[in-house]
Amino acid sequence: MNFSAKQILGVAVFLLVIFVGVPMFIAATGRWDFYFTLTSVALLAIASAGVWLTFYIGRINIGQGAFALVGAYVSAILVVKAGWSFWISLPAAGLFAALVAVLLGLPILRLRGVYFAMITLVLTQVATLTALALPITNGAKGITNIPLPSGVSLFGLTLIPDFGQLENTRMAFYFTACILMIITYAALYRLVNSRLGHLCRSMQQNEELASSIGVNITYIRILIFAISSFFGGIGGAMFGSISQSVYPATFVVKDSVDFMLNCFLGGLGYVFGPMLGTLLIYFGWDLLFEFGKYQLLIYSTILIVVIRFLPDGLLSIRFGKGEKK
Amino acid sequence: METRAAWINETGGFEIGGTTYDIEIVSFDDQKDPKRAIAGMEKMAQEGIHYVVGPNVDDGAAAVRPVAEANDIMYFPYAFPKELYSPPASNAVLGMIANYQSGPAIYKHLMENEGVKTVAFIAANESDPLSQRDGGVAAAKELGLEVVSDSVTYQVDTTDFTPVLTPVLRTRPDLLVLSGVSPANAPQLIRSARELGFEGLISTETAQDAGVLAEGAGDLANGFISVGGASTPELASPMMNEFVERYTNMFGEYNDESNTKVYALEYILETLKATPEAIDDVDAFKASMDSFSAPNPYMNGDEQLTYVGMTSFGQKRQIAVPLVVNVYQDGAFETMFIARVD
Amino acid sequence: MEQILANGVYLGSQYAMIALGLTLIFALMNVLNFAHGQMYVIGGFVTYTFYGQWGVPFVLALFMSCMTLAVIGALIEKYLFAPVIKGSSREESTMLLAAGIAFLLDALILLVFGEKQRGVPKIVDGVFNWDFRLIMPYDRILICVLAILSIVAFIALMQYTKTGRALRALAQDRTAAQLMGVNVDRYSMIGFALGAMLAGLVGGLLVTITGINLGMGGPTSIKAFMMVMIGGAGVISGAIWGGFILGFLEAFGLAYLSQYGDITYLLIFVSLMIFLAIRPQGLMGKPWG
Repeated sequence: MNFSAKQILGVAVFLLVIFVGVPMFIAATGRWDFYFTLTSVALLAIASAGVWLTFYIGRINIGQGAFALVGAYVSAILVVKAGWSFWISLPAAGLFAALVAVLLGLPILRLRGVYFAMITLVLTQVATLTALALPITNGAKGITNIPLPSGVSLFGLTLIPDFGQLENTRMAFYFTACILMIITYAALYRLVNSRLGHLCRSMQQNEELASSIGVNITYIRILIFAISSFFGGIGGAMFGSISQSVYPATFVVKDSVDFMLNCFLGGLGYVFGPMLGTLLIYFGWDLLFEFGKYQLLIYSTILIVVIRFLPDGLLSIRFGKGEKK
Repeated sequence: METRAAWINETGGFEIGGTTYDIEIVSFDDQKDPKRAIAGMEKMAQEGIHYVVGPNVDDGAAAVRPVAEANDIMYFPYAFPKELYSPPASNAVLGMIANYQSGPAIYKHLMENEGVKTVAFIAANESDPLSQRDGGVAAAKELGLEVVSDSVTYQVDTTDFTPVLTPVLRTRPDLLVLSGVSPANAPQLIRSARELGFEGLISTETAQDAGVLAEGAGDLANGFISVGGASTPELASPMMNEFVERYTNMFGEYNDESNTKVYALEYILETLKATPEAIDDVDAFKASMDSFSAPNPYMNGDEQLTYVGMTSFGQKRQIAVPLVVNVYQDGAFETMFIARVD
Repeated sequence: MEQILANGVYLGSQYAMIALGLTLIFALMNVLNFAHGQMYVIGGFVTYTFYGQWGVPFVLALFMSCMTLAVIGALIEKYLFAPVIKGSSREESTMLLAAGIAFLLDALILLVFGEKQRGVPKIVDGVFNWDFRLIMPYDRILICVLAILSIVAFIALMQYTKTGRALRALAQDRTAAQLMGVNVDRYSMIGFALGAMLAGLVGGLLVTITGINLGMGGPTSIKAFMMVMIGGAGVISGAIWGGFILGFLEAFGLAYLSQYGDITYLLIFVSLMIFLAIRPQGLMGKPWG
């Protein structure tokens, strides 16, 4: 892969902003609460990246909340009941979510268009109901008092400090979430620009055609859906760790719809679209809080206006041209 | 709460330790989303706030706990899980009467006065109602009631309760408990139960809205037992009546539920008045909770504001409000009995 | 048993009506109308306002519900869906638009009608009780009959009127219909208005039994989606089948599975997934809609 100088510069600036600029800004202004909001955005952006990826094979995924919930529960159960370190439970949560996605994907990925969208919409409810019904998830009472992530050290060298001992867990969670987000989007970028990415694009346009030229579409579909759900599981597990609790309603249908909106708003044609979309939707909603009961009205109107006049997402008006607000 | 704050400010502010303060309420809407609730609590910490009223749901209250404890925030949730209020937790103060406190009181009263022997429970398939049902079932068994049905649940979005209720009513209970029922679902459940020919008692441990009951179930709701706020005519002091009036002017429609919130503010302010250094020092606040006592302005007689909860939590982490049990009759609530929590 | 069957018929008839409107809109425009549940809620509130608050006769209030929704539906189609369908390069845009409209309608309902649960006086008193084997309040029977009559009327409209024929032609093949001289734009609007009107009609009918509140919109949409998936999207008979099947599944599930906690819905969802794995297009649907 060849990167232009401009691209490398862009990424460098971006990294500088989130790892140096934001902490400096927060230290200067004393707005410590931004750490959590930005952590949320990073984690939601990870889950949204998964949704974006399913769009990439031409499937509208409104079920990411289900996989985030699965991830949150798996991590919580491994940490609380099996005594695992959070850092091992995190990939385990992602992998378990991916496994669930494979099992579910086998039947439902055969569906297309609105059928797939409708069935994924139901998935989040299934996850919530399952969490309520199973004994291992503690049913309605949820899992609470989850310990903070413990430290990891290798040959006496502290790789990750014990979060319970840290003065400032907010900053620690912020950096963790940002690093995860960057890995996610780097992986996403790599994937899109690989042979697999080309195959996905051909599937998005025409599955029959792709199949006829020898693409194993079933395999690719399942693989992509599994990766997508892996991201969802990771995002959910991190959230459970921050709030130190998981409930059946930690992720609900509304979250799933939000993940989808994040992708749409940012633009489906751009890898970084979901990141921008998540940021705008999260902060946009908070800013509109000033308007009291008109909050939802203004929010939905803006949404409709954007779709009406920018059907291909905000990034379609080229990078950096600002927000339509 | 905004009403009460505006009222205090209008009358010149609130005096704590020789300084008169205006009260400013900082609000945040968590949309019942635990993720947003954390963001809200972070915002409160950011603004240097030490006293927060809410969140209103179990998962939200559990989610904000780490933030509150890390930032020295006392919070007054309207959620019931006992571990929020029992040691080692110490920053949460239950802002109302919990169902595991009101439930037994109601069942006992009905056993003694109405001869209730069997009871059935039904709850929405959601965290809060299910937890409340489990608490209610345990309490009923302890009192020696026979629980004839406790496994039936319904989806929150159910619009027709007849099929849901049919198997419950087949067990012919003396008392049907609607655990943690929302004001929207209550009239429909009552109506379906009565239309199916149920003649026993129906009760719940949550606060209800008389107007909604009247519209949704009409006369069928007569005799429905619920837990009220503290503004029933017998109890309400002139000050409570003025509060209700001001609230109605500000927001249009008063419901009995809103006055549980005004208590939390009054408790915070009065405790701060008694212990001025607690304004920035929650440890002083916690220390004073054990002995704090002030006259209750919202109730007639010489009622006191104190912190309670020893029996349920092993420490005083609950505000004392009267437990008012109401019966619905022709569009309004009548007081059935009043009890106290220790 | 009689009770379960009666509950099934009652639930099925109201579900079928909700699904009909959704499927009609889908058939005509290939739009999954996320806002269908919100339209249902508006219908309920309009009837509540006219009948419950102002004391207008019920039938007239019901008519007002239908008219309000027909107008809202027509406006939404003309000014939002039609331009977006023409202007967008991706079909997903209409779905996002529908979600946006769902939010917008929610916001409007909140501002106009408030967030409280509302209900109206019973239209008929009394309960039909056949020896405790079958209990059904008279108003439920009436609503059930009205719902079935509306479905029959709707089918008749689609089969025997000029509008109905045009709409069916449009659903079958847009381009061909246009070539045959059907005014596509006009009939799209009429179709959308008709679908919205059906949602309003159900809302108006059911407000007499279940009452109405702001939160009912989203869950109603999801239920409607399930029925459409069972029956097959875009097919009228499919919507009716889907509605009745879901109604009976609920009635049976709630009667026989209640002692195991709330697993009825879990089982319905799981069986739906298995069913769709075997028959992705639903019962009546053409393959790939």
